Amino acid sequence: MSSHREAPEMAKDPVADSTDVYAFVSPDRPDTVTLIANYIPFQAPDGGPNFYEFGDDVIYDIHISNQGRATQDITYRFHFHTEVRNSKTFLYNTGPITSIASTSWNRPQFYSLTRIKNGTSKVLASKLACPPVNVGPRSTPNYSDLAAQAVHKVGKRRVFAGQRADAFHVDLGSVFDLGTLRPFENLHLIPTPAAPGVNSLQGYNVHSIVLQVPISEVTRKGDRPTDPAKASSVIGVWASAQRRKSRIFDRDQGAYVGHGPWDQVSRLGNPLFNEVIVPMAHKDAWNAHRPVNDKDYAKYVNHPELARLLPVLYPGVFPNLAAYHKPRADLNAILLTGIPTGVVPGFQNYTGPREADMLRLNVAIPPSSSPHKLGVVGGDLAGYPNGRRVDDDVVTIELRAVAGVTIPLVDPSFTPDGAASAVEDGTTDTNGDTSLTFPYLADPNGGYQTQPGTSSS
Amino acid sequence: MSETSRRNLLAAGGAGVAAGAVGLTTGPAHAGTAEVERSATSARESVVAYVPDHRSSEVRILVGEDEVVVHDRDLATRILNAAGGR
Repeated sequence: MSSHREAPEMAKDPVADSTDVYAFVSPDRPDTVTLIANYIPFQAPDGGPNFYEFGDDVIYDIHISNQGRATQDITYRFHFHTEVRNSKTFLYNTGPITSIASTSWNRPQFYSLTRIKNGTSKVLASKLACPPVNVGPRSTPNYSDLAAQAVHKVGKRRVFAGQRADAFHVDLGSVFDLGTLRPFENLHLIPTPAAPGVNSLQGYNVHSIVLQVPISEVTRKGDRPTDPAKASSVIGVWASAQRRKSRIFDRDQGAYVGHGPWDQVSRLGNPLFNEVIVPMAHKDAWNAHRPVNDKDYAKYVNHPELARLLPVLYPGVFPNLAAYHKPRADLNAILLTGIPTGVVPGFQNYTGPREADMLRLNVAIPPSSSPHKLGVVGGDLAGYPNGRRVDDDVVTIELRAVAGVTIPLVDPSFTPDGAASAVEDGTTDTNGDTSLTFPYLADPNGGYQTQPGTSSS
Repeated sequence: MSETSRRNLLAAGGAGVAAGAVGLTTGPAHAGTAEVERSATSARESVVAYVPDHRSSEVRILVGEDEVVVHDRDLATRILNAAGGR
């Protein structure tokens, strides 16, 4: 979760596995939008000597749809290149890395940033440096300074690519143990005493691509919209990763050599879409398809498996949900079309009738001065599903939505079960303190500082 | 026509165009043992040939960042024969 290891094939390819996508109007620069795509899930920070890095053989894209067609009207492309400075050592670093230009760092990584619009590519910058991973206090002293050196200005844009602490929190150990939620597992079909949630991602890192661009660069009319009611105020956002169509292992090089065009192998828009909406047998195909074709997956949104499971796993807790058999127009709007005008007062992020999994951000809605982690459900129109901020509690939001709390928005005849507005996995973000300034995600957990998890059986 | 644009044409042109173009450069089946002259536009890098269905004449050739799709029974047959050690 939210898309960590979410599909059978992609679980074998973490370098191309998108874990989370965020899109929000920047709280510290409200004339800009920040786009974040995370990759490489479950990084144990002490996983050396070959630490984590982006794939030189992967193309990473962040797409913007601003014409209501669910097609990529603008793409920001990131292509990485790794160097080995000293071929005579096995070490990641041969001394303290005190700057990102330090020759003690044996395996620096660089990238280019390309903008594609109307089929025309323009390289905005190249040889942009990533920071090293957070090895430990001797190897990467003053890590925050190293990370700050890797924040690059490209015109009016800012960009960062490198290791960060995962900001996502969820109790994986419980939810995949037959859907139990520790705070409520006394009510589970196979009951045990209720307990606090456990953040499964605590202490793990990801690799983040963080791009901040002027709002006027991504909107339909090239302006900074101020009227939330206008269709041109909404952009769709998703990320994808591509690999070469063929990879052949070259024994002389000891490496894979790519041939042919780039094919999409991973994508992500709304959190948890592929994870808990799309059936396992179709997850890898979903990853290879573009959002514009998501009509084929609408049936899994309209009749989600999880909504059928909740009343079974928690007998007697969700009777109203169990009796509701209409297509879930609320989830269809949240995940596939955007919420039209008239459903939530003062808000819309509708991109038209074409069903497509994208984050939808109404950029005319300013950042909240007091963000609510439940976003629109909590009365904060600047949060999920209006885009997604790094601190939005999307597990709780989506869990409650699936449980029926959003059905009355489109079907006033339905009364949600009492538990629908209380259900949660009981976790909070205990990974690291996120920031209100670029690149927003917390510094990565350090390798030396890492303590192993608990043994259990 | 540049090499890249030629490849794109082959990839986009469909069976008729592709088969005709490749037929000119690969020669007939009975010429399998003869020296075949390389054209001025032939690839100068490693390529991967993929026959997705042995019952079909389709050959997919991956070269650079392009995929050239040709429908050439003779080419497919010679690849399949080579794969069988003949």
